[in-house]
Amino acid sequence: MPELLDHLMASPLAAVALTLAAYFAGERLFRAARAPAWCPPILVAALLLAGVLALLAIDYADYRRGAGWLMLLLGPATVALGLPLYQQMGHVRALWRPLLACLPVAAGMAALYAVGIAWLLGAPPETLASLAPKSVTAPIAIAITERLGGSVPLMMGGLLVTGVAAIGAVGLMARWLDIRDERLLGLALGINGHALGTVRAFEIGPTAGAFASLGMSLTGILTALLLPLAWRLPGLVG
Amino acid sequence: MPALRGFLWLIGFLLLGEVLITLTGLPVSAGVVGMLLLTVWLILHGGGFDDIAAAARPLIAVLALLIMPGVVGIFFMLDELAGQLTAILAALLLGTLLSVFTTLWLLRRLVGDEGQRDA
Repeated sequence: MPELLDHLMASPLAAVALTLAAYFAGERLFRAARAPAWCPPILVAALLLAGVLALLAIDYADYRRGAGWLMLLLGPATVALGLPLYQQMGHVRALWRPLLACLPVAAGMAALYAVGIAWLLGAPPETLASLAPKSVTAPIAIAITERLGGSVPLMMGGLLVTGVAAIGAVGLMARWLDIRDERLLGLALGINGHALGTVRAFEIGPTAGAFASLGMSLTGILTALLLPLAWRLPGLVG
Repeated sequence: MPALRGFLWLIGFLLLGEVLITLTGLPVSAGVVGMLLLTVWLILHGGGFDDIAAAARPLIAVLALLIMPGVVGIFFMLDELAGQLTAILAALLLGTLLSVFTTLWLLRRLVGDEGQRDA
């Protein structure tokens, strides 16, 4: 039995099949549980997949090598995000002044608060580099973390927690600050909560959704351009 | 075969991004540069991007699938992180709460609060 498993894992096909199966099973479970906002389908799918890997005693490194074939598509998929960004250009033109003033601060703070708190609590540099892109959409965040020398799995975990936390925080703060403008709620969800926040924004309304995708794309670009440069400055990390 | 033609476009922009960052030494990823190049190209070109859309839409739709192998890894490094879990969770939860507050506060000051009022 172990020999058969080793034989199967020698080609990437088994890892790709496992990933696809877990993805569809996760989506199905998610819908069966009436799509809870605190537990995104990808978390369900990842838990299932981790369970199967542990059960079959498949080494994560072996699995990852095979699944690398799927992750190869992340490059073209990141480029593909340029299309929705182009379709948002109308909003950008209408609001470029406040966006220009607000986005760098908001995107910078999203990274700075987390890195600052973790640093104060004594987290090592690799952890800081993994937490810094926590509000950036996953394909871009993977590229940033690799550049900064962080751990991709830790970053992905942080991304999931952040997305769920941002949805809760925007709900809370909107009530507290009495903000009902869909544009503001959408932007806040997209800037802080990446794709998960954007999905939530589309539930609020189409305007909120459009502004969330805009906030998500612009935060991603800005962080990708500025964070690796900022990382070199303070000598904070070796 | 519009989707395949579009896929070739996407890879083309990705490779162009790779060439640019290699030549300039910028610490940015090839995918992000490729995305910006695609956006600029679409702005300059206006319409006529059916091929690219045919490849881009399905790729964006399965993004969650493509990042799954990375997400799964977190469950295999929980032991390693045991000592830092408090710091990590505090940074993520408190950091997100603070940054959401900052964003909403700033946006309200800069954009204004009425959804009806045109910007």
